[in-house]
Amino acid sequence: MARSKVFIQRKDGRIELRIAPAAREFLKSVVDQLITAENDSEHPWHGSLHAPITPSADNDDPLRSFERQKMTATSAELMRLTLDESFLSQDEAFAWLASMQLGLRARTTEAAIFTVEDLNQADDTSLQTIRALQFFLFELATTLS
Amino acid sequence: MKHERSTSTATLSQDEVVTEKSWNVVVWDDPVTPMPVVALIFRKIFGYSNNKATQLMMTVHHQGRAIVWSGVRERAEGYCIKLQANGLLSTVEQDS
Repeated sequence: MARSKVFIQRKDGRIELRIAPAAREFLKSVVDQLITAENDSEHPWHGSLHAPITPSADNDDPLRSFERQKMTATSAELMRLTLDESFLSQDEAFAWLASMQLGLRARTTEAAIFTVEDLNQADDTSLQTIRALQFFLFELATTLS
Repeated sequence: MKHERSTSTATLSQDEVVTEKSWNVVVWDDPVTPMPVVALIFRKIFGYSNNKATQLMMTVHHQGRAIVWSGVRERAEGYCIKLQANGLLSTVEQDS
Protein backbone atom coordinates (compact mmCIF):
# COMPACT_ATOMS: atom_id res chain seq x y z
CA MET A 1 0.00 0.00 0.00
CA ALA A 2 1.34 3.44 -0.94
CA ARG A 3 2.46 5.66 1.91
CA SER A 4 0.40 8.69 2.66
CA LYS A 5 1.86 12.03 1.63
CA VAL A 6 -0.31 14.20 3.86
CA PHE A 7 -0.14 12.22 7.12
CA ILE A 8 3.29 10.87 8.00
CA GLN A 9 3.80 8.40 10.87
CA ARG A 10 6.92 9.46 12.82
CA LYS A 11 9.06 7.04 14.82
CA ASP A 12 8.09 8.76 18.09
CA GLY A 13 4.43 7.90 17.44
CA ARG A 14 3.32 11.35 16.33
CA ILE A 15 1.56 11.99 13.03
CA GLU A 16 3.10 14.76 10.95
CA LEU A 17 0.61 16.86 8.98
CA ARG A 18 1.55 18.02 5.51
CA ILE A 19 -1.69 19.71 4.65
CA ALA A 20 -1.91 22.87 2.53
CA PRO A 21 -3.54 25.96 4.09
CA ALA A 22 -6.53 25.72 1.72
CA ALA A 23 -7.15 22.11 2.78
CA ARG A 24 -6.94 23.12 6.46
CA GLU A 25 -9.57 25.79 5.77
CA PHE A 26 -11.78 23.15 4.15
CA LEU A 27 -11.40 20.83 7.15
CA LYS A 28 -12.08 23.75 9.49
CA SER A 29 -15.38 24.45 7.72
CA VAL A 30 -16.36 20.77 8.12
CA VAL A 31 -15.54 20.59 11.83
CA ASP A 32 -17.18 23.97 12.51
CA GLN A 33 -20.39 22.67 10.95
CA LEU A 34 -20.13 19.53 13.05
CA ILE A 35 -19.83 21.52 16.28
CA THR A 36 -22.78 23.73 15.30
CA ALA A 37 -24.93 20.80 14.15
CA GLU A 38 -24.44 18.89 17.40
CA ASN A 39 -26.31 21.57 19.35
CA ASP A 40 -28.64 22.99 16.71
CA SER A 41 -31.65 20.79 16.00
CA GLU A 42 -32.42 22.86 12.88
CA HIS A 43 -29.02 22.19 11.30
CA PRO A 44 -29.23 19.79 8.31
CA TRP A 45 -26.52 17.59 9.86
CA HIS A 46 -28.23 17.29 13.25
CA GLY A 47 -30.34 14.23 12.37
CA SER A 48 -27.34 12.28 11.17
CA LEU A 49 -25.61 12.88 14.53
CA HIS A 50 -28.64 11.67 16.49
CA ALA A 51 -29.45 8.36 14.80
CA PRO A 52 -31.47 5.70 16.70
CA ILE A 53 -29.47 3.28 18.86
CA THR A 54 -32.07 0.54 19.40
CA PRO A 55 -34.66 1.02 16.62
CA SER A 56 -37.05 -1.56 18.15
CA ALA A 57 -37.38 0.52 21.32
CA ASP A 58 -39.84 3.42 21.52
CA ASN A 59 -37.16 5.72 22.84
CA ASP A 60 -33.43 5.43 23.33
CA ASP A 61 -31.95 5.77 26.79
CA PRO A 62 -31.29 9.53 27.18
CA LEU A 63 -28.06 8.81 29.07
CA ARG A 64 -26.77 6.85 26.07
CA SER A 65 -27.70 9.71 23.73
CA PHE A 66 -25.91 12.15 26.01
CA GLU A 67 -22.84 9.89 26.13
CA ARG A 68 -22.69 9.83 22.32
CA GLN A 69 -23.15 13.60 22.13
CA LYS A 70 -20.23 14.04 24.54
CA MET A 71 -17.99 11.73 22.47
CA THR A 72 -18.86 13.57 19.24
CA ALA A 73 -18.28 17.00 20.78
CA THR A 74 -14.97 15.93 22.34
CA SER A 75 -13.61 14.64 19.01
CA ALA A 76 -14.81 17.67 17.04
CA GLU A 77 -13.45 20.16 19.55
CA LEU A 78 -10.11 18.35 19.76
CA MET A 79 -9.83 18.44 15.97
CA ARG A 80 -10.77 22.13 15.93
CA LEU A 81 -8.07 22.89 18.53
CA THR A 82 -5.36 21.05 16.59
CA LEU A 83 -6.20 22.17 13.04
CA ASP A 84 -3.16 24.44 12.75
CA GLU A 85 -0.68 22.03 14.32
CA SER A 86 2.22 20.37 12.48
CA PHE A 87 2.06 17.15 14.52
CA LEU A 88 -0.74 15.14 16.14
CA SER A 89 -0.65 12.57 18.93
CA GLN A 90 -2.36 9.22 18.22
CA ASP A 91 -5.43 10.29 20.23
CA GLU A 92 -5.67 13.57 18.33
CA ALA A 93 -5.32 11.71 15.03
CA PHE A 94 -8.21 9.42 16.01
CA ALA A 95 -10.27 12.49 16.90
CA TRP A 96 -9.59 13.81 13.38
CA LEU A 97 -10.62 10.45 11.90
CA ALA A 98 -13.89 10.37 13.87
CA SER A 99 -14.75 14.00 13.05
CA MET A 100 -14.00 13.71 9.34
CA GLN A 101 -16.01 10.48 9.16
CA LEU A 102 -18.95 12.11 10.97
CA GLY A 103 -18.70 15.07 8.58
CA LEU A 104 -18.64 12.72 5.59
CA ARG A 105 -21.70 10.77 6.76
CA ALA A 106 -23.60 13.93 7.68
CA ARG A 107 -22.83 15.60 4.33
CA THR A 108 -23.90 12.43 2.51
CA THR A 109 -27.16 12.21 4.45
CA GLU A 110 -27.82 15.91 3.81
CA ALA A 111 -27.48 15.24 0.06
CA ALA A 112 -29.79 12.17 0.37
CA ILE A 113 -27.04 9.80 -0.78
CA PHE A 114 -27.86 6.35 0.58
CA THR A 115 -26.79 4.06 -2.26
CA VAL A 116 -24.07 3.83 -4.90
CA GLU A 117 -26.67 4.90 -7.48
CA ASP A 118 -27.45 8.03 -5.43
CA LEU A 119 -23.73 8.75 -5.24
CA ASN A 120 -23.34 8.43 -9.02
CA GLN A 121 -26.12 10.95 -9.52
CA ALA A 122 -24.98 13.43 -6.87
CA ASP A 123 -24.40 17.08 -7.74
CA ASP A 124 -20.87 18.38 -8.26
CA THR A 125 -20.75 20.44 -5.06
CA SER A 126 -21.68 17.47 -2.86
CA LEU A 127 -19.31 15.18 -4.74
CA GLN A 128 -16.42 17.60 -4.33
CA THR A 129 -16.87 17.67 -0.53
CA ILE A 130 -17.39 13.90 -0.33
CA ARG A 131 -14.33 13.07 -2.45
CA ALA A 132 -12.13 15.46 -0.47
CA LEU A 133 -13.20 13.94 2.86
CA GLN A 134 -12.80 10.42 1.50
CA PHE A 135 -9.26 11.30 0.43
CA PHE A 136 -8.24 12.60 3.87
CA LEU A 137 -9.97 9.69 5.64
CA PHE A 138 -8.29 7.10 3.45
CA GLU A 139 -4.88 8.70 3.92
CA LEU A 140 -5.23 9.00 7.70
CA ALA A 141 -6.64 5.47 8.15
CA THR A 142 -3.79 4.06 6.07
CA THR A 143 -1.26 5.92 8.21
CA LEU A 144 -2.84 4.78 11.50
CA SER A 145 -3.26 1.13 10.40
CA MET B 1 -53.80 -23.53 51.38
CA LYS B 2 -52.63 -20.12 50.33
CA HIS B 3 -49.34 -20.71 52.08
CA GLU B 4 -48.82 -24.06 50.27
CA ARG B 5 -49.43 -22.46 46.89
CA SER B 6 -46.87 -19.76 47.43
CA THR B 7 -44.31 -22.34 48.60
CA SER B 8 -44.92 -24.31 45.45
CA THR B 9 -44.47 -21.25 43.40
CA ALA B 10 -41.25 -20.51 45.21
CA THR B 11 -40.02 -24.05 44.58
CA LEU B 12 -40.93 -23.76 40.93
CA SER B 13 -39.18 -20.47 40.56
CA GLN B 14 -36.02 -21.95 42.09
CA ASP B 15 -35.91 -24.50 39.26
CA GLU B 16 -36.73 -21.96 36.61
CA VAL B 17 -33.82 -20.80 34.48
CA VAL B 18 -34.38 -17.53 32.72
CA THR B 19 -31.97 -16.74 29.93
CA GLU B 20 -32.25 -13.51 28.02
CA LYS B 21 -31.42 -13.60 24.33
CA SER B 22 -28.23 -11.76 23.55
CA TRP B 23 -28.10 -8.33 21.95
CA ASN B 24 -26.28 -7.78 18.67
CA VAL B 25 -24.37 -4.72 17.56
CA VAL B 26 -25.02 -4.34 13.83
CA VAL B 27 -23.00 -2.19 11.43
CA TRP B 28 -24.69 -1.21 8.17
CA ASP B 29 -23.09 -0.53 4.81
CA ASP B 30 -22.98 2.95 3.34
CA PRO B 31 -21.72 4.02 -0.09
CA VAL B 32 -19.06 6.51 0.99
CA THR B 33 -16.95 5.31 3.95
CA PRO B 34 -13.48 4.15 2.81
CA MET B 35 -12.87 0.49 3.70
CA PRO B 36 -9.66 1.05 5.73
CA VAL B 37 -11.60 3.46 7.95
CA VAL B 38 -14.19 0.79 8.86
CA ALA B 39 -11.54 -1.84 9.66
CA LEU B 40 -9.51 0.64 11.72
CA ILE B 41 -12.56 1.66 13.79
CA PHE B 42 -13.36 -2.03 14.49
CA ARG B 43 -9.78 -2.60 15.67
CA LYS B 44 -9.82 0.48 17.86
CA ILE B 45 -13.22 -0.08 19.50
CA PHE B 46 -13.24 -3.88 19.91
CA GLY B 47 -9.50 -4.60 19.93
CA TYR B 48 -9.98 -7.05 17.05
CA SER B 49 -7.02 -8.37 15.04
CA ASN B 50 -6.43 -6.91 11.61
CA ASN B 51 -7.73 -10.14 10.05
CA LYS B 52 -10.98 -10.19 12.02
CA ALA B 53 -11.59 -6.46 11.50
CA THR B 54 -11.01 -6.81 7.75
CA GLN B 55 -13.27 -9.87 7.56
CA LEU B 56 -16.11 -8.02 9.32
CA MET B 57 -15.59 -4.97 7.12
CA MET B 58 -15.89 -7.18 4.01
CA THR B 59 -19.09 -8.75 5.40
CA VAL B 60 -20.58 -5.27 5.83
CA HIS B 61 -19.52 -4.37 2.29
CA HIS B 62 -20.86 -7.52 0.59
CA GLN B 63 -23.91 -8.35 2.69
CA GLY B 64 -25.00 -4.84 3.59
CA ARG B 65 -24.61 -5.45 7.34
CA ALA B 66 -22.63 -7.47 9.86
CA ILE B 67 -23.04 -8.40 13.50
CA VAL B 68 -19.81 -7.13 14.99
CA TRP B 69 -20.43 -7.99 18.66
CA SER B 70 -23.02 -9.92 20.74
CA GLY B 71 -23.68 -9.97 24.46
CA VAL B 72 -25.53 -8.12 27.18
CA ARG B 73 -27.63 -5.08 26.25
CA GLU B 74 -25.68 -2.54 28.29
CA ARG B 75 -22.40 -3.32 26.57
CA ALA B 76 -24.03 -3.64 23.15
CA GLU B 77 -25.46 -0.12 23.45
CA GLY B 78 -22.10 1.16 24.69
CA TYR B 79 -20.34 -0.25 21.63
CA CYS B 80 -23.10 1.02 19.34
CA ILE B 81 -22.75 4.63 20.48
CA LYS B 82 -18.95 4.42 20.12
CA LEU B 83 -19.40 3.25 16.53
CA GLN B 84 -21.91 6.03 15.89
CA ALA B 85 -19.62 8.63 17.47
CA ASN B 86 -16.98 7.46 14.99
CA GLY B 87 -19.39 8.02 12.11
CA LEU B 88 -20.43 4.45 11.30
CA LEU B 89 -24.06 3.40 10.78
CA SER B 90 -24.78 1.14 13.74
CA THR B 91 -27.80 -0.16 15.65
CA VAL B 92 -28.55 -2.64 18.45
CA GLU B 93 -31.01 -5.53 18.04
CA GLN B 94 -31.96 -8.54 20.13
CA ASP B 95 -31.12 -12.01 18.78
CA SER B 96 -34.17 -13.54 17.07
